[in-house]
Amino acid sequence: MNYLIPETLDQALRLISSQRNAKLIAGGTDLSVQIADSLISPEILVDISGLEELKGIEEKNGFLSLGAATTIDELVSSSILPHCLVQGAKSIGSPQIRNIGTLGGNICNASPCGDTLTPLIALGGILVLVSSSARRKVRLEDFFIGPKMTVCADNEILTEVLIEKDYLQGRSAFRMTGKRSGQVISQVNVAIWLEAGKSREIEKIRAAVGSVAPVPLRLKRVEQALKGRAVHERLLKEVSELINEEIKPISDVRATDDYRRRVTVTLFRDALEEALQGFN
Amino acid sequence: MGNVKLSSMGKRVRKIDGVELVTGRAKFAGDMKFPGMLYGYARRAGVPAGIIKKRDVRTALKIPEVAMVLLAEDIPGPNIIGILPPFDQPLLAAEEIRYEGESIALVVAKTKTAAKEGALAIEVEIDPLEPILEPDEALKKGARKIHPAGNITYSKKLIKGDIDKGFKEAELVVENTYHTSFQEHAYLEPEAVCAVPCGDGRVTVYASCQSPFHLRGHIAANLSVPASRVRVVQAYTGGSFGGKDDVAAEIGSLAAVASVKLGLPVMIAHEREESIKGSNLRHASRIHYKTGARRDGTIVACKIEIILDGGAYSSESPFVTMKSLIHAAGPYRIPNILVECTSVYTNKTYCGAFRGFGVPQVTFASESQMDELASRLKMDPLKLRRKNALKPGDATATGQVFERSVGLLQTIDKIEERRKSSDLPRDREDDRWLYGRGFSCMLQGISNGAEGIDVVGASVQVSQDGSVLLGVGLTDMGQGSRTVFAQVAAEVLGVTVDRVTVRQVDTDSVHDSGPTVASRSTTVGGMAVFKAAAEVKKSLQKMASLMFKAGEEQVSFKNNFASLKQDDSARIPLREVAAAAYWSGFPLMNLAFSRAPDADFDHETHQGDIYIAYNFGTHMMDIRIDRFTGRVQVLQHIASHDLGRVINLTGVEGQVEGGSLIGFGFAHMEKIESEGGSITNANFADYAVPTVKDRIPTETICVEDYNPTGAFGAKGIGEPPVAGAASAFANAVAAATGVRFTKLPITKEDILKAGGKHGRYSH
Amino acid sequence: MHLEFICNGKKVSVDVPADMRALDLIRDVMGLTGTKEGCARGECGACTIIVNGKAVNSCLMYAVKLKGKEVFTIEGLSEESGKLHPLQEAFLEEGAVQCGFCTPGMIMSAKALLDRNPRPNEEEIEEAISGNICRCTGYAKIVKAVTRAGLGNNHG
Repeated sequence: MNYLIPETLDQALRLISSQRNAKLIAGGTDLSVQIADSLISPEILVDISGLEELKGIEEKNGFLSLGAATTIDELVSSSILPHCLVQGAKSIGSPQIRNIGTLGGNICNASPCGDTLTPLIALGGILVLVSSSARRKVRLEDFFIGPKMTVCADNEILTEVLIEKDYLQGRSAFRMTGKRSGQVISQVNVAIWLEAGKSREIEKIRAAVGSVAPVPLRLKRVEQALKGRAVHERLLKEVSELINEEIKPISDVRATDDYRRRVTVTLFRDALEEALQGFN
Repeated sequence: MGNVKLSSMGKRVRKIDGVELVTGRAKFAGDMKFPGMLYGYARRAGVPAGIIKKRDVRTALKIPEVAMVLLAEDIPGPNIIGILPPFDQPLLAAEEIRYEGESIALVVAKTKTAAKEGALAIEVEIDPLEPILEPDEALKKGARKIHPAGNITYSKKLIKGDIDKGFKEAELVVENTYHTSFQEHAYLEPEAVCAVPCGDGRVTVYASCQSPFHLRGHIAANLSVPASRVRVVQAYTGGSFGGKDDVAAEIGSLAAVASVKLGLPVMIAHEREESIKGSNLRHASRIHYKTGARRDGTIVACKIEIILDGGAYSSESPFVTMKSLIHAAGPYRIPNILVECTSVYTNKTYCGAFRGFGVPQVTFASESQMDELASRLKMDPLKLRRKNALKPGDATATGQVFERSVGLLQTIDKIEERRKSSDLPRDREDDRWLYGRGFSCMLQGISNGAEGIDVVGASVQVSQDGSVLLGVGLTDMGQGSRTVFAQVAAEVLGVTVDRVTVRQVDTDSVHDSGPTVASRSTTVGGMAVFKAAAEVKKSLQKMASLMFKAGEEQVSFKNNFASLKQDDSARIPLREVAAAAYWSGFPLMNLAFSRAPDADFDHETHQGDIYIAYNFGTHMMDIRIDRFTGRVQVLQHIASHDLGRVINLTGVEGQVEGGSLIGFGFAHMEKIESEGGSITNANFADYAVPTVKDRIPTETICVEDYNPTGAFGAKGIGEPPVAGAASAFANAVAAATGVRFTKLPITKEDILKAGGKHGRYSH
Repeated sequence: MHLEFICNGKKVSVDVPADMRALDLIRDVMGLTGTKEGCARGECGACTIIVNGKAVNSCLMYAVKLKGKEVFTIEGLSEESGKLHPLQEAFLEEGAVQCGFCTPGMIMSAKALLDRNPRPNEEEIEEAISGNICRCTGYAKIVKAVTRAGLGNNHG
């Protein structure tokens, strides 16, 4: 195996489009294990974790831009990010993993349970994919096409994630649950962003759930049902049913489908309640 | 040895080998390096049952770094491991595969990577057999025989009194069936050994292990050399909890055979997945429990049937069976008991010793029964336990009578006090949280007891400078026994603990002391140290009396000085006494031997004097449960144990806190998941070992009811907390939810699901 | 590949294969065996080292990633005179060590915490060591030890 460390994004793009069987590596917390397990055997690793173009959190052109090589720990310590994203980032792995792992890695790894994915969907996140010849934008909820599968082409690099500044208004919350309390993989996670009136009537809302379908799921019908209405117990009952219709959890080594169903509803209600509290 | 005032006893003493550990200087087996060292990696079956049709090693041997491949036929000896009869486990399988982790070949190469590559390159063909995965299937008439003698590993009964008569007297019967799941030791250090040929016809094996003498026996047998040609040195061992015995013998033998054949050092260090799949687990169990009592709460009869799922090989199943039998009725005075326990083979990872050794399983059942009985009688659960608790002079389930050191009632008293002073915040119960408080009582036999001879060797040497070198045949795997042994020697010789060094166990230099098990280190091992130190002390006493020109009985030793009892101001530094003793030709070394009183019992009924003592305990646990996720928080956990005498308070707390969390993991979080006989969560992400955020707030209360059979009155505390914490947890969940869970672990999923049935916890 | 970095205050210049893990470089090449391997998947924390002030799993990092970095392992903690770091003293005093296999990694995680937050509270300590599994102690004494070391910072 060869390990290449390009100094610029252009170099990196040239490398991945010219070399066969090359794979991008950022933090490598997932990739190194996949390689060690011989699940993948790239001939070349192109390390983009040091590229300045891919780093940092900044506001530009009406967007919040998060560099793909920003570490998860940097997300956790940021004071300007929406709450649900910080909460999601905090839920990933352990401090050691968050210090190495990157936002771009968490997204491109495309695990249905990735803890930054649902927050970014709830926040209307847009991914910027760059190749040597083009640059395109993809909405996060359109990025995933299956477990570990995305629309990102082999010659593309995810450079940044954009969040419209509108989403900095409003409130958001994230909830997850796992087999234990520390260093844990989500059995289910939920993220909600919303704007609401003083009497709990929802003006705008976006919601997403993870680990209950092959890809992280935006709950569009739930959003529709909640929009323009005040949150109370009867509405929540209605919403619970909708959630159950939208999700398609499976049973695996981490949880049964039954448990996932029950907990998704609870986590959704808890996240909704937390997000609403800001408007009381 | 009297109940005298002691200097370092009962206090907090720093771990004597702690500096090496906190600085990273301590060498574990996997840290060792020898010139020319090679690495071994095993090819495993990967299927739970089948017949091996082909083992072609040619491709593996073509890898340049590969030095050798060992197959069953390359083992000079009988190619067998296994701690107890029937010694049914092949070192390398050549014919039948009985579990997925079974080793078929060992590849030895210059690098770990090449060894692994070689192992995967071996062409193995196995004709699969339908795996037998449940004890019931294994016990069915006409079931395929996993071993030639059938599918029963060991089956015994405990018979006390007249069970039919007992149930006739009963006015109330409580009957339930309980299940417990497999548990993985999950010590942080995966198993590792390093075998080094010495050039003198001997081989030294450095091993992360629990019982170096077992290793020596297995290694010598598989090498087909006399045991005297094999030296096993215990390396620093990163936890064991019962688990580094069979597997250490397996990799120790393989590494030794390869190293002797090649004339080079060979290391085998397991990966985590190998450690989980390829070494023993805690037995899963099914326990049918019938308790008969009078209306006043007096228990008159217990009938218990236990099936242990022992997996593919016998390992310690026979002894775990015995221990389950003996402890199944709990720490109570019950006149009529019938227990049947059968350990069964299945095509799964084999089960053996794990901290508690069959006791956590049966205690969960017996303590659940106690709470069920209390609720039927509308009696307070602690009052019911108190009413039936063993007292000095009572007969245990085996009919053994202890006149001393039966401190169960004192442990109940301690818990009763705490119960009164701390209310469960049940009034805070709301739409979200349910609160519950659970109790448990337990006992755990100390010493090998019925399992055979219980002997320990210890050597004490005093140098001319007055420092003490101690060697004991029992291993410290982290539990702190070296520190306890140092304290015992220091106490006897009147030196400070920092003047005592305790060697790692080396089979060359101390008597075969059997396995380090059964919470017996402090009790039996401490006695051996006491005796050896007392012998050496005689020389020092004689010398000092000559120097003081006073009678020997006048001399005492304290703080590295000899002094006269009447006149404390007359002092001679111990180093001067030791040097003078050396130059006078007095012996300054002694090899002593401690032998626990032999068990005297009937193997067919398990009646008689079985252990030298029991540790008794009472636990109380307060929890709250999130109705909507099943998440559990432990608010308070108090563990009260009668441990005879505290030697090192820090060590005791460490054992109680650590053991309790293993018990909590067993009861709530840890579950081996498998599919078709393959473990699907052989890693620390999906096998949920508790993290710091899952810890429980254990508080230790020591009851010291002097034990005449232990050094300075002590009894072991290593195993007991596991059963206590697990059972108290189960009862707390029942109290909080109103649902009796009969299976461990009770996961948050289980809680949510059961609650849902009752319509209590759904949105 | 050639790389240079600072390890425990000393310059290291070494050639490594591209697929070598930082853990193997530290243990097998440099002989610093205080850093342990417990799972090889970032799930136990025994291999924790500090890179540029952050605790990381050296089993998940390729060695080349250490290029130009400042690295600390457990061996860099106590002084050459043998004087122990306050965390090491606290671990001994509180009985936070049993088998000791998790201890180096645990201490490195705690050190990374204390270096940025000298007097952490219990919750912060739990968070900082949540990636380090200990099977022996039940954790209480470890949390106490880190607290003790932090309190010492107040006076010094």
